[in-house]
Amino acid sequence: MENSQNRILMAKTGLDGHWRGPTIVARALRDAGFEVIMIGMANTDDIVTAAVDEDVDLVGLNIGGHIDVAIRSIKRVQEVRPSLPIFAGGTIPPHAAKQLQALGVEVYPPGSQLADIVDAAERLTGTK
Amino acid sequence: MTKNSTDKLVTSTSGIELKSYYTAADIPEQHKPHVDVAPGEAPFHRGFHASGYRSKPWRIFQLSGFGKPEDENERIKFLLKSGETGFIMEHDRNTADHCYNVNHPEVVARCEDVGLTGAVMQSIRDTAICMDGLPVDTSFGHAGGAVVQHAPFALAAYWTVAKQRGFDLSSLKGTGQSDFNLTYLGCVTKEQIPTDAGLRFNADIIEFCAEFLPRWVPVSIAGYNAADTGLTPDQELGVLFANAVEYLDEIKRRGKMSLIQAAQGCGGVSFRASIHIIEEACKMRAARLMWSQLLRERYDISDPKVSNLRIHCVTAGSKMTYQQPFNNIVRGTAMALGAILGGVQSLGVSGYDEALSIPSEHAHQMSIRIQQVLQEETGIADVTDPLGGSFYVETLTAKLIEKAWTFFESIQKQGGYLAALDSGWLHAQAGENQYQEFMKTESGDQKIIGVNCFRDDESPFEVDGFMGTDDAFDVATERLNDVLRTRHEMGAARALKQLEADCRSDKNIMPVMMDALAAEVTLGEIGDVYRDVFGNWNTPIQT
Amino acid sequence: MSEPTTQALLTSAMAGNRSHLARLLSQIERNSKVETQVRLALAGIPATSVVIGLTGPPGAGKSTLISALLTHATASFNKTAVLAVDPSSPFSRGALLGDRVRMQSHGLGDRVFIRSMASRGETGGLARTTATAIQVLDACDWPLIVLETLGIGQVELDVMDLASMVAVVLNPGWGDTFQANKAGLTEAGDVFVINKADKDGVEQTRADLQDSLSLLKPPLPINIFETVAVKHQGVEALWRGIEAYLKEAQKLGLLEQKRLSRRRRLLMRILQRDFDVRMHAYLTSEYGDNQILGALAGSLSIEALRADLFEYIANVDKRPR
Ligand SMILES: Nc1nc2c(ncn2[C@@H]2O[C@H](COP(=O)(O)OP(=O)(O)OP(=O)(O)O)[C@@H](O)[C@H]2O)c(=O)[nH]1
Ligand SMILES: [Mg+2]
Repeated sequence: MENSQNRILMAKTGLDGHWRGPTIVARALRDAGFEVIMIGMANTDDIVTAAVDEDVDLVGLNIGGHIDVAIRSIKRVQEVRPSLPIFAGGTIPPHAAKQLQALGVEVYPPGSQLADIVDAAERLTGTK
Repeated sequence: MTKNSTDKLVTSTSGIELKSYYTAADIPEQHKPHVDVAPGEAPFHRGFHASGYRSKPWRIFQLSGFGKPEDENERIKFLLKSGETGFIMEHDRNTADHCYNVNHPEVVARCEDVGLTGAVMQSIRDTAICMDGLPVDTSFGHAGGAVVQHAPFALAAYWTVAKQRGFDLSSLKGTGQSDFNLTYLGCVTKEQIPTDAGLRFNADIIEFCAEFLPRWVPVSIAGYNAADTGLTPDQELGVLFANAVEYLDEIKRRGKMSLIQAAQGCGGVSFRASIHIIEEACKMRAARLMWSQLLRERYDISDPKVSNLRIHCVTAGSKMTYQQPFNNIVRGTAMALGAILGGVQSLGVSGYDEALSIPSEHAHQMSIRIQQVLQEETGIADVTDPLGGSFYVETLTAKLIEKAWTFFESIQKQGGYLAALDSGWLHAQAGENQYQEFMKTESGDQKIIGVNCFRDDESPFEVDGFMGTDDAFDVATERLNDVLRTRHEMGAARALKQLEADCRSDKNIMPVMMDALAAEVTLGEIGDVYRDVFGNWNTPIQT
Repeated sequence: MSEPTTQALLTSAMAGNRSHLARLLSQIERNSKVETQVRLALAGIPATSVVIGLTGPPGAGKSTLISALLTHATASFNKTAVLAVDPSSPFSRGALLGDRVRMQSHGLGDRVFIRSMASRGETGGLARTTATAIQVLDACDWPLIVLETLGIGQVELDVMDLASMVAVVLNPGWGDTFQANKAGLTEAGDVFVINKADKDGVEQTRADLQDSLSLLKPPLPINIFETVAVKHQGVEALWRGIEAYLKEAQKLGLLEQKRLSRRRRLLMRILQRDFDVRMHAYLTSEYGDNQILGALAGSLSIEALRADLFEYIANVDKRPR
């Protein structure tokens, strides 16, 4: 099949504007051949609409604040696209990471290797 | 970066090549005359004052805040009791940074985030709760308002409460920071006023303080926020002075106050202290020299009271690791040491749980204890500028200065600091550095203990994140409704209208802001005026 | 869960299923067979949507302007679809698609559909499948489709073929910086927008533009608008200008002509593509290779080679392998 670039939605759930992490990750994913749709700080409605309309293969969430905010978005995405994989990075304390993992979300806390994140994207989208 | 093999190039974070040892011959010619000057004398790189920390220990000044105003008040009192010698009132970032009330849809959509990063203060009533019983007359207070568009509100709230409690404005000491690097470079907000409107606010604050609050530090440029976004130490210096020049040129253009006074107002800055101890110490020394040089050469100011830079310093939050968080206590200590060796006046150490959450009470206490141990036990405070005269330190200081001025010039070529923010040029520099830095840790060239080496699969010493309180949003909503219901509505409406009129004019915004706060106008209403009058900054980057 | 067939997706999308529309658009991007199948299925359906193309140099403010136009556009047409094209990296074939971030706070809910597309190596300012995507959106009852091209250089003017009208977005100072591209760009536009009119040099740019435009003989007078997209200034006037153009163009039959040329173009593309595939098959087959070697050796005349090639192209699918 030609042109089979997979599409990843990247969003930040919080209103804090740290852009270091997400930008580096987006760049690495693009360099690994993904089409990355960046929507910046986005609320649940923004995230769900983009996940559907852009028909992405994976959602990446950068979580900066309270885990419940992210969980609300994750649950809504899972309602409308049950089989869509989601992974998350950012300031995610251990207890919150466990909550995310229970929802089937893979967690990449600060200090994760870019290579691991790219691997995960490839695995979750079935690219390799 | 540092390899054992002798032929491998070793560089500082600023990209300055390092020799394996230094001799007197390495010190650049232009710097040699400065080496032997006493601290407290121009060009000041050796320190603010000859007696250094003997006469005035550095201020222990920790960022703090979460939850409801009363939670924050309690934490500040705890810190003061633990030995903090100034206090910082952090505002909730969701509401404050954006000038939203809690009922704004973007805030409601993230209601659990509210209160996570600071107390919610939407009206003067909230600020009054937060300031209850705090020693505003004797302590150096940070009123919050680190964000440019939020500063007039935060300052006016703090000052109005102080006034209502019977304090004379002219006696108040403190700052609100109002820093561009924070939200125009580092944590870019979803919406905020354009940079030219921000410049006007800051110039207004500088002029207002000169008239009514002579002991207040009206604005405090934070190199920290530039550095923690990726700029190297030389760039941090360059960007800080390019920013200062923007303020001073604006004040000069407006011609309403003396430039000397304005320089005094801009002369309290903050830097990041990162992990390369010696280079960071050199950076603080370089900063003082550069400031006196800048004032003399560009503005013909050489009054020693003015050209002597005062430095607050915060250890690098981004160096704190998620893995093995207790290692961060060591990192905090090392970074603090660099700052102290550089002779800073004030210091905050980031919490060991920085990468996990906002600081827990214990993490906060440790940040203070680190400083107290250094201050009281190590003897580091006994002699001013302990590194002075070291071949290496003097050479690196001089080289940093040279590199920093080069970066300063390249910012000028971009049309100045604000233009370089507007165009995204600074973000591109920072972004590239971030990427390189990331790649160095990814490849293991830069070792990070517990992260890319000496890792634990399962740590027995796990720390979990502190999550603050969970009623901040509900209480803030109640209180907002309460203010809107019980305030004198006509007075508030009139003040708000006047605020809009003054925003549209070129009047100083602070007097009308004080009136608006006294009339219990709320933060979100003020933000709405801004959005209407000034519009939104064109964010040059994709976040 | 097995994927619904292309036909099922199409039927469902045409009945208003938004996620199936989205899925169909990805399948078209992924697989040219699906694309052809969809084109054939839709070939008989007349085009009815209005397509407004926005083109202009990188960073001119196209996305911001579309965002500001959405309220007005949706008020007039009830629903608006946006296709926004950004460049793919030629090295990794990946892409950072950043247009959407400027467009999403529209508050218009389901009445707006935004889709980001990577150019995937196409050079005309659009993606290979943009034309088909438009056809699909049209068939799915999106009455207005706004198309953002990637920042264009000189020859990337495919948008002219697809759009009912093209708005060229420029900035003050255009005259100095884009000397070389002036001609191509001015020929592309039905209306011109000087965005970032808050910057210096608007008058000069307007004068430069008028200068270049004076050389053209357009069927309708070309208007120049000034906007500050970030502040929504001049945007309503621009929308009224666009509507006025559309009305006039409708009267003159220009829109019908454009729709026809759009369909013709699509058809031509199908044929062209088919032709290319068959030609390629001939050139890379052992048989074709032998024929070519023969021609080079002089044992086959050029005319005979051409006849053989055409015969092959016409009948390749009937030949036994
Ligand atoms: N000063 C000013 N800046 C604007 C205006 N409109 C857009 N911008 C800014 O210009 C930059 C680019 O805007 P976009 O809308 O992304 O431009 P674009 O043409 O879509 O860019 P590409 O898709 O990358 O080619 C952003 O920082 C906008 O905020 C305007 O009217 N005035
Ligand atoms: Mg765009």
